[in-house]
Amino acid sequence: MRRRVPHLLGLALLAFFLAFPFVYSANDYPYVMHIMITSFFYAILASSWSMLAGYAGQFSFGHIGFMGVGAYTAALFSHYFWLSPVPTELCTEYRFGETWLVVVNPIGVTSTTLTQDCLRQAMEMWGDAVQPTRMPVWIGILLGTLMGGVFGFLIGVLVLRLRAAYLALFTLGFAEILKATISAEIEITRGQAGMELPALFESGVTLFGHTFDKTDKLPPYFVMFGLLLVCLAILAWLAGSKFGLFVRALREDQDAAAALGVNTTRYKVLVFVVTTMMAASAGAVQAHYVGIVTPNNLFLLQMSLVVAMAVIGGVESFIAAAIGAVLIEVALEMLRNSFVIGGVEIDMTIWRLVFFGIVLMLTLRFARNGLIAPLIGYFTRGHVARETVEHRLHPRAEEAAAK
Amino acid sequence: MEHPGTFWGVIAWMIVWGVAGSVAIRRRYLQHDLDTSNTTFVGAMLGAATGPVGLVPLWLKTPELTNRLIVLPAIGAVVLVAAAFAFADPDSNCVANGSFVASQITNGIIIGIIYGFMALGLTLIFSILGVVSFSHGEFYMVGGMLTYYVTVVWLPGINPLLGIACACAVVFVLGALFERMFLTPMYQGRIDRPVEYGILITFGLAFTLQYFVQAIVGSNPVKTRRYFDFPRVRLPSPEDPWLVKTSRGNLELFDTISISNPRLTAAVACVAVLGALLYFLHRTWTGKALRAVSQDREAAAIAGIDPSRMNMLAFALGAMIAALAGALLVQAFSWLPQVGNIPAMRSFVIVVLGGLGSLPGAFVGGILVGLVEAAGTGCIPDPQKAASYIPAYGMVVLTLTLLLRPTGLFGRRYASGAHGKF
Amino acid sequence: MKKPILSAITAAAAAVSLGTGPAALAECETAIGGLAPLSAPGTVVGGEAMREAMLIAEEDLNAAGGVLGCKVKVVIADTEGLPEKAAAVMEKLITQDGAVAVGGGYHSSVGVASKDIANARGIPVVFAETWNDTITGDKQKYIFRIAPLSSWASSTIWKHALLVPGIEKAAILTENTDYGIPAAEETRKGLATGGVETVIFSVDIGTQDYAGIVERIKAEDPDIIITLATGEAGYNFAQQSADAGIGPQDLPFHSGQVSLESKSYWENVPDGNYAFVQRIGVPENLFNEKAKNFAAVYKERTGKAAVESYAMEAYDSIAIIAQAINEAGSTDGDAIVAALENISHDGTLGRIYFPYGTQKDPSVDGKGDEWWHQWPDPALTVIQYQEEGQNSVDSPIVWPDAYKTGDAVYVGR
Repeated sequence: MRRRVPHLLGLALLAFFLAFPFVYSANDYPYVMHIMITSFFYAILASSWSMLAGYAGQFSFGHIGFMGVGAYTAALFSHYFWLSPVPTELCTEYRFGETWLVVVNPIGVTSTTLTQDCLRQAMEMWGDAVQPTRMPVWIGILLGTLMGGVFGFLIGVLVLRLRAAYLALFTLGFAEILKATISAEIEITRGQAGMELPALFESGVTLFGHTFDKTDKLPPYFVMFGLLLVCLAILAWLAGSKFGLFVRALREDQDAAAALGVNTTRYKVLVFVVTTMMAASAGAVQAHYVGIVTPNNLFLLQMSLVVAMAVIGGVESFIAAAIGAVLIEVALEMLRNSFVIGGVEIDMTIWRLVFFGIVLMLTLRFARNGLIAPLIGYFTRGHVARETVEHRLHPRAEEAAAK
Repeated sequence: MEHPGTFWGVIAWMIVWGVAGSVAIRRRYLQHDLDTSNTTFVGAMLGAATGPVGLVPLWLKTPELTNRLIVLPAIGAVVLVAAAFAFADPDSNCVANGSFVASQITNGIIIGIIYGFMALGLTLIFSILGVVSFSHGEFYMVGGMLTYYVTVVWLPGINPLLGIACACAVVFVLGALFERMFLTPMYQGRIDRPVEYGILITFGLAFTLQYFVQAIVGSNPVKTRRYFDFPRVRLPSPEDPWLVKTSRGNLELFDTISISNPRLTAAVACVAVLGALLYFLHRTWTGKALRAVSQDREAAAIAGIDPSRMNMLAFALGAMIAALAGALLVQAFSWLPQVGNIPAMRSFVIVVLGGLGSLPGAFVGGILVGLVEAAGTGCIPDPQKAASYIPAYGMVVLTLTLLLRPTGLFGRRYASGAHGKF
Repeated sequence: MKKPILSAITAAAAAVSLGTGPAALAECETAIGGLAPLSAPGTVVGGEAMREAMLIAEEDLNAAGGVLGCKVKVVIADTEGLPEKAAAVMEKLITQDGAVAVGGGYHSSVGVASKDIANARGIPVVFAETWNDTITGDKQKYIFRIAPLSSWASSTIWKHALLVPGIEKAAILTENTDYGIPAAEETRKGLATGGVETVIFSVDIGTQDYAGIVERIKAEDPDIIITLATGEAGYNFAQQSADAGIGPQDLPFHSGQVSLESKSYWENVPDGNYAFVQRIGVPENLFNEKAKNFAAVYKERTGKAAVESYAMEAYDSIAIIAQAINEAGSTDGDAIVAALENISHDGTLGRIYFPYGTQKDPSVDGKGDEWWHQWPDPALTVIQYQEEGQNSVDSPIVWPDAYKTGDAVYVGR
């Protein structure tokens, strides 16, 4: 009976998140929904990272970089590629039947509205007569995901021989180089100014007879939540299959796994590709949702948030990591207030991060499996644990007596 | 750049042969059952420097890879890149302006010494504990911040040396406390994956420290005055001081190289402390014990050294070295709670380049990284980009090192105990 | 039977507080949002000054009777200088804190990212210190600005730079943001009109070590150095240039905006004498009554010896919103916009009004889109530190002639 508790709780949680947007109706609805969407975004990052780091033992600090690859691929795609029924005769363009694929020229960051790219100039000439359209958002997200996979593959191949600290430093290096490149190549990426993206549903979306405008939070909420569920399902399937077994063998002892006939190369690269694709897709969706992406999204602080969320949730259980991410993101946002204790005003905007760091350290020190994973484990594996403990306790006690 | 095609053509040629060489030579040595530890590096460098001319004989003869075979191709590759650049962009300051080159090299070496010194702390910690400390940048920041508060806010007018000493002492205690509270479970085998635990827990400390300092002192940039003004020197004569000319904050050599006071004093102090540290490590019992533990934990324990206490000492000492670097640089840079991020990254680059756990490696690596950054900032033709890429130069060195020679310049394959595997 | 007692107590308490309170405001609150960067990578020095100014505005407004008989509550929100945070923060201000209008704002990228959200939700925003032209150039109904336009602010710098005797070459150090890059480009174009050649170096905001760049600038041998960077980058660059012998004491040197914080400036740039700094607003001796009163309170609160222009802008951005709400007679967004378009507000910076908007397009007067909802009169001046440790308000204004209080000292060569 007890073993079913997590499943029931999981279903309850699922039902809660599905019903939440319909039930909740306070004034701050858009803000709360925004927090929820962001927390799902972090949940995808944290759970895929826990697969990479917790299950497979590949301690990557570049996860946020792969997220950035997805986000920037989507941003560049939607920024530079347009469809037009009429040729602009200013841009590079390719004809496909009755439409032209317009490739906008990069002009970097400008302040005045006078310097415009070739498409804007053409649009000015056309007036309202011709309306060029953006490429569909989902293609950008798909491309972002694939690009994340390509980068994941390359990095995965390059780090094959690296372990532990070296791997962490290498992936950190990758993320930093990526960030510096994006900041410096201003003509193309617009540098620190960031790239603006269209909303997920730029022209609104109609569901069940209700039309949602592009600023409505409900459609992106379910897109991000759906993506999270898909990622968790894939992770669960992988963890339960031969794959999960092999990557855990990788973590415990790579050489032994290789000696036992596990194709370590293949699984190591595979786990990189799968998890980075998840990070990239989350990045692409989040970029379209927020509407802007800047190199600061790849800040080491963002990576530390993901790592801390996974660790506090439980790095060896992707479900726990996801729940941890949601809880922490919500808590961090809720604590953005100041309160007064004994006449001293405490500005929680900053202190919340201090407490967060302390919680992270204490969790690591005293609850190595995180705070949520043991709860799940208590129900699912409680009996196993008890048996093991008893097994262990008796010989240990004898040993102690012998000493 | 005048002939970008030429330059990028040469670079592409080098990359193609470098990759081909690194893969082919390693395969070849593997087939012949020879030592492959340096094959990737030599193959890549020889391929890049000479192309097929050098690779074919190497492939055919598979000689033993002596030091000469390791060093010469590497120098050749660097020279080739420099030559290609000089040919492609003959008007660049890096090629045509001798005094510019001299200034950049001097600057690179000086800042390299300081960062090499800071990295020394990181490598010391790694060689004893097997931990890559992610909180190194925060110890650096705290060192500078404490020095500022002691010398400017709390006790204005105090001798800066006392302020520095105070900051070092506080950080030493902080490091020791942290090690006792959070790192001890690592040694008793109570943790499955100690390397990862070490990274995460120091990462947590970094996070906490950075925001703690921000919450306490805010984010206004602060800075101490110069610790020491240069005396006025004009050599050889006051009328024509072509040799040495100083002002309060600046030293000019040969009318071309100018070195700023804070950096020079910091670098000199670093060298002095390095000397003291070497004396400590090689001439005192505790220092010898530290080195013994880093070489062989069990043997050291048998010889009556308590490895656990050495762990504490090493971590505290490493943290203190970072704090000292910060205390010396708070007179050069405006100080903020985030100030440690960049030097921390640079320290990672340096220790990997020098070889994790190698003390001389950290120092040489520091100077090399300083030079690479100076070359990057100084030589990239587009001024809009040269400085924007500063954070990336070091990271490129890091990734190249890890790909070609993960042991670094002077690396050992092991550090102490079981957790030094890479 | 508890409820009547409770309500009797509250009623009594309310009566007591009404009777004794100095400003007998009804127990209702009107929330106005205030954007400010309060943590890095934002410019915290600027953000803290703006927060203080906006809170003083709140007190002054409440002392004068609030808006529509209600208390004003200024809700400060930390943008961290990041566009993606700005969007979330704007969302929070509007939906959670119920802000009816928003003031403040320091970084341009923050303004660009957050304006769309406010505009979509129909909440008026009066930006205080965001310079990027596109903020008003998009001609959004709910977006106003009292800060100068970037293109216009750049013109102060280059027009002044052209006065430097014998100037042939300028070096610009800019941060690679959407404030710095366009500003550098405009300054270059402006200098080119005077036949001055320009070389632009751009850096990441967090850069500390400028040694390599300083050497490069030195090799270019410029006649003037112009810094277009917010935050401590301006300090690090100025002092490291001085160390290398091309600082403010060696050649004409325009230092970043942050240098207006005199105390912090002299601590971070001890060799920074003779630096030029751009300043918005008239000199302190030309202050109006309102500005004098505000300056007195501000100095007392912060312990600073001078009031920075962005603090005054932040103060005015809140005060003008309050006046608009009162004139509109409602907190409805459209009504506030209508009131703002017709407003004449006597602020600390002078009389603030918005000549162009939905009623009169800028193109009618042949002006660019960026003049939409833009206050056209902020005074832009260039000051010069001429003594070590000098206060930025005591330093002479050297340009333009209309406000001039002293002659510029052109050092070097």
